[in-house]
Amino acid sequence: MSGRWLAGKAGAAMLTLIFVIIFNFFLFRVMGDPTTQLARLPNSSPEEIEKLRADYGIDKPLSGQFLDYAGDTVRLDFGVSQRSREEVWDEMKAALPWTLLLVGTGTVLATLIGSWMGVIAATRRGKKTDDSLLGFSLLTYAAPEYWIGIILILVFAVAAPILPAGQQVTPGVEFSSWISEALSVAEHMILPVTAMTLMLLGQYFLIMRSSMVDVLTEDFITVKRAIGLSHEQVIRRHAVPNALLPLVTLSAIQFGAVVGGAITIETVFSWPGLGELSFNAINDKDFPVLAGTFLVFSAGVILANLAADILYFFLDPRVQAR
Amino acid sequence: MSVTSASAEVATAALAGEGLDEHGIRYKLLHTWRGRFGIGVLGLFLFLAVFGSLIAPDDPNASSLDVLASPSFAHPLGTTEQGADVFSQLLVGARVSIVVGFAAAFISAVLGSTVGLVGGYFGGWTDRLLDGLENWFLVIPTLPLMIVLARLLDPSLGVLIVVIGFTSWAGTGRIVRAQVFTLRERAFVERARALGAKDSYIIRTHILPNTMPLIFANTVLIVAVAILSEAALAFLGLGDPTRISWGTMLENAFNSGAPSAGAWWYVIPPGLCITLLVLAVSLLGYLFEEHVNPRLREANA
Amino acid sequence: MASTRGPRGHRGLIAAVAALVAALALIGVVALPAAAQDSGGSGDTSTETTATTADDSGDAVLRIGWAQDPQTLNPFVALDEENYNVWALNWDLLVNFSAEDLSPAPGIAESWEVSEDRKTVTFKLDPNRNWSDGEPITSKDVKFSLETLGKEGDLFAGYTSNVTKIETPDDETVVITTKQPDARIVGGLFIYMLPEHIWGKVPIDELTGSYQPELPLVGSGPYVLTEFSRGRIIRMERNPEWQGPEPAFSEVQYIKYGNQDAVERALRLGEVDMVVEVDPSTFERLESDPNIETLSSPSPSYTQLAFNLCPDDLCPDAQFNPAVQDVAVRQALAYAVDRDKVNAISARGTAFPGSGILPSFYEAFYEVPEQNYPLDVELAKQILDDAGWVDNGDNPRTKDGEELSFDLAVRSESPTNIQAAKLVAEQAAEIGIEFNVDVVSVDKLTEMTIRKVDGKPAPEFDTFIWGWGGDPYDPSFLMSLLTTDEIGGLSDGFYSNPEYDALYTEQAGIFDTAERKSLIQEMVALTQEDVAYLVLTEDPNLQAYRTDRIQGIEPSCPSDGGDLICEQVSYEPLLTIEPATGSSASSSDDGGGSAGVLIGIAAVVVIGGGLLFWRSRKKKSDEPLEMEE
Repeated sequence: MSGRWLAGKAGAAMLTLIFVIIFNFFLFRVMGDPTTQLARLPNSSPEEIEKLRADYGIDKPLSGQFLDYAGDTVRLDFGVSQRSREEVWDEMKAALPWTLLLVGTGTVLATLIGSWMGVIAATRRGKKTDDSLLGFSLLTYAAPEYWIGIILILVFAVAAPILPAGQQVTPGVEFSSWISEALSVAEHMILPVTAMTLMLLGQYFLIMRSSMVDVLTEDFITVKRAIGLSHEQVIRRHAVPNALLPLVTLSAIQFGAVVGGAITIETVFSWPGLGELSFNAINDKDFPVLAGTFLVFSAGVILANLAADILYFFLDPRVQAR
Repeated sequence: MSVTSASAEVATAALAGEGLDEHGIRYKLLHTWRGRFGIGVLGLFLFLAVFGSLIAPDDPNASSLDVLASPSFAHPLGTTEQGADVFSQLLVGARVSIVVGFAAAFISAVLGSTVGLVGGYFGGWTDRLLDGLENWFLVIPTLPLMIVLARLLDPSLGVLIVVIGFTSWAGTGRIVRAQVFTLRERAFVERARALGAKDSYIIRTHILPNTMPLIFANTVLIVAVAILSEAALAFLGLGDPTRISWGTMLENAFNSGAPSAGAWWYVIPPGLCITLLVLAVSLLGYLFEEHVNPRLREANA
Repeated sequence: MASTRGPRGHRGLIAAVAALVAALALIGVVALPAAAQDSGGSGDTSTETTATTADDSGDAVLRIGWAQDPQTLNPFVALDEENYNVWALNWDLLVNFSAEDLSPAPGIAESWEVSEDRKTVTFKLDPNRNWSDGEPITSKDVKFSLETLGKEGDLFAGYTSNVTKIETPDDETVVITTKQPDARIVGGLFIYMLPEHIWGKVPIDELTGSYQPELPLVGSGPYVLTEFSRGRIIRMERNPEWQGPEPAFSEVQYIKYGNQDAVERALRLGEVDMVVEVDPSTFERLESDPNIETLSSPSPSYTQLAFNLCPDDLCPDAQFNPAVQDVAVRQALAYAVDRDKVNAISARGTAFPGSGILPSFYEAFYEVPEQNYPLDVELAKQILDDAGWVDNGDNPRTKDGEELSFDLAVRSESPTNIQAAKLVAEQAAEIGIEFNVDVVSVDKLTEMTIRKVDGKPAPEFDTFIWGWGGDPYDPSFLMSLLTTDEIGGLSDGFYSNPEYDALYTEQAGIFDTAERKSLIQEMVALTQEDVAYLVLTEDPNLQAYRTDRIQGIEPSCPSDGGDLICEQVSYEPLLTIEPATGSSASSSDDGGGSAGVLIGIAAVVVIGGGLLFWRSRKKKSDEPLEMEE
């Protein structure tokens, strides 16, 4: 691995992103021609439709249209939401931090808890603890995350109403300081983050367990033991850190699944992130917003993969040994 | 929502049993808890998919004034927000999940295998192109892509099957391609070529049979993903509006305020069925993977 | 897996995790204040609200919850009916609707006079009224609003279709002249009066594009909009220039919840005082709460079963089963469909059984039609027999090669409509008419109805179920849907009856209510005879409020059988309702947060403690490493 490798990865990421833009273009301009939607208005005359086509630039040849589209995208001009007439980029900008908050917290928690579970399972491989943890992670993988979310609402917001069931802050309330607002957000985060964490848990658990098992059976461990290190020291100082490395790369690779979970969980909890934005756009058939969020999600996954590659580049002990 | 081959391998290895090497697949299916659970549950849901509408006690579409009623003798799982019988809907809903799951996985398998076979066998620019395509599909987040396509095409059962199948093929493609690479260089292939056999013949008689088990095992896992995808799309409102599925049951429950009404009988069963079915199919998938790929088994200490 | 190890890998990893946590914290710090402002909008769209906490000088806040909020405030492009909720408090019309009976009441115009030939109406404005920013309200504003909003606003176009000129001889006078007498000029110009000195300065392209008005939203009503956080809250505060009776509530808040479920919860918990636009299923549940009063009132909208009635000369390429144009078939259907049952099941009994194309809401013009098709299955069968439709037992009736088997298209977006469709099909089957319910998307249904071939309408459907909503007082819009003129326009049933058309033109110009009513009744009778639409239900207005928070609510619009606050139509009721005595005016505490956070912290402590406990246990067993098998 070398700087050239990294440059190659960055180049590949760029290329993938370009293809997403091309794909978006074809999907939305060619298939979802906005004027076909508008032409459904009963009173549109042919002249009005022609004018609309000119406005949207659809009367140009395809290549011209694509250049316009690409240029717009680079300038972060994703058009205007059909429903709210707001700039799509503005709406996405406002929603993005909330999704990052939800997804980031969920990922961190899932990594921590999942790895912890994985360590326990690996050191008790084959025993009941291992089996039950395995079963638990399989269950959380198979269960739809939005269903888990709804059950959380049922239990914690309806049956025993101790937690709020939706949105990011208590609506309509004026906060005396940003601390109290942050606390309200924290309170509202608990259930959605729990759902997200449960959804992601299984993967981290499995990977951690697997690498731990591998590492623990390596010869060197026996050597270290022979030297006289305690069981706990061996696990803590050597086995765990090295098993953690694939976890980092997994975080990035799982981003695709994370995005899917973000959409459904935000919908269940009315969490004002990109997921809920997409969901509303689905119902409104607001194609500019759908295209924008698709692009952002894809870009996010591509960037996350690239970040994982970079991280791996710096963390891989083989590289350190250079 | 995507099962990366990495995590599938890990799951398979984690679940792998010992001492099963000498046995055939039938033994593994019938004598491990994974196999028994998988076959049992899958069998049950397959049965429901075919006969569900016949054995359902009430018309799942019938509405009544008895709305969101809690379980009773007449309605063992209570009623929906339209007053329909939840239990009947549950039985009937199996069909959509099974049909979409298997059909989409089938399409995905055909697409993936074709791409993997062609790219892997012929190599060169074809392969680079197809590989690039494959990588693109692997990287792109699947649910947003499915959402966009389903919304554009106006959801129906057929659209769902095509959309899910079309977005899930890359994993199979990659596995097939890797396998074809190794097979391509093998002696019997060289010999066949030397004897003047056509490419299509070689692919059909040598490469394909050796790849089939791999494709099959992987496809079973894709079924699980397809079932989850259909449910998610239905929950988001992109399911077939003319059919009842577990996903649309959850959608209706959520939209009509069932959680607030405390209607656990409406909310829990559909999700539970999805979970059980996905679990069963996944376990079977891991079993097949392990059988097909013995090196995935964990090393004994 | 990595096979070499060393402290470096360890440290690097810690650094990575630390970086991630730092990034999250940064996002949190940046996002929260940013998101606390209103999201989106060009320019500064919020003002710091001054004393709005509840306990200042007894100022009370009225909090209304809803599950759908308006997407934009700009009336030139907005399409959501929720917009009317806020616009109606912010702006007047030229002639308002009386909360008593919806008849014309003074709005921006104090008084008006209809000329002899009824083609000219002269309006006099109050010279002393000002906009909320202090500028005087003049005839210029009226002219601008009628001409510009009345032409370019999607929701407001069409009302001035007959107007030939609008003159403003002086600041207090507006003279509107029409081609022919048009009663809508007094009772139905549903176009809000906007301040010309603000809206007139914006180029039309921008107005119909992405223009977002500045806040506070300058207006003439008792409240003006001061904050618009889409997806969160809309705040309206007392208009400083308001000259009418002072409303008891100093502020009105519309609070957005994720869905109906959440709104219901909020009302029960007292987070809001009132909910407008309640779901039928939520409605029933709220009724059971002792502190909550619910109300279902008629609205000027209905759900109907429509038929493809297009005559051959107007729609030569239409595709449909011709049997649908046999009036006997439609009449039989009208006798066979139990509208009470449709209401009871599809609308959960919250709606009202239909009785013709004029909803009962239009009290000034409504009467129960003479021919109202009471449920009579036997008579229905008789009519079909007499018309020669052969009874084939379980199969649909036939006659001369035609079959009574129709497609019934219905929108997938409306479970209520789908329910109604199934009920219709069920009941029609009993008299030998077969309906194949076809659930389609609203786009597809629209396509089916506006399909054109060679420039002429060519609708492709047999029957469908959909709905229409009309204006608060003037029934012209709803009646116009069945005129021949609207074929190719808004008509989706393609009914064409020259007698009906003539009556329509005549009644449009009658300002006298009684006279107009008799003409309208004739029109209704015609459509009942022809069963132009089979109106199944009249849609209700479902609302609920907390009796321990609000008192003085009297149904209005109209006062016998209206809704709680005359929503979307008039601000008058808000001038008389007041906070319930003894109620703590809506609190603005944020203390509710602590309980949940404490639990969260407790959870973390428990997990952390468990972790530590596990590690300490391991410490004890400092024996040789044994791989537990």
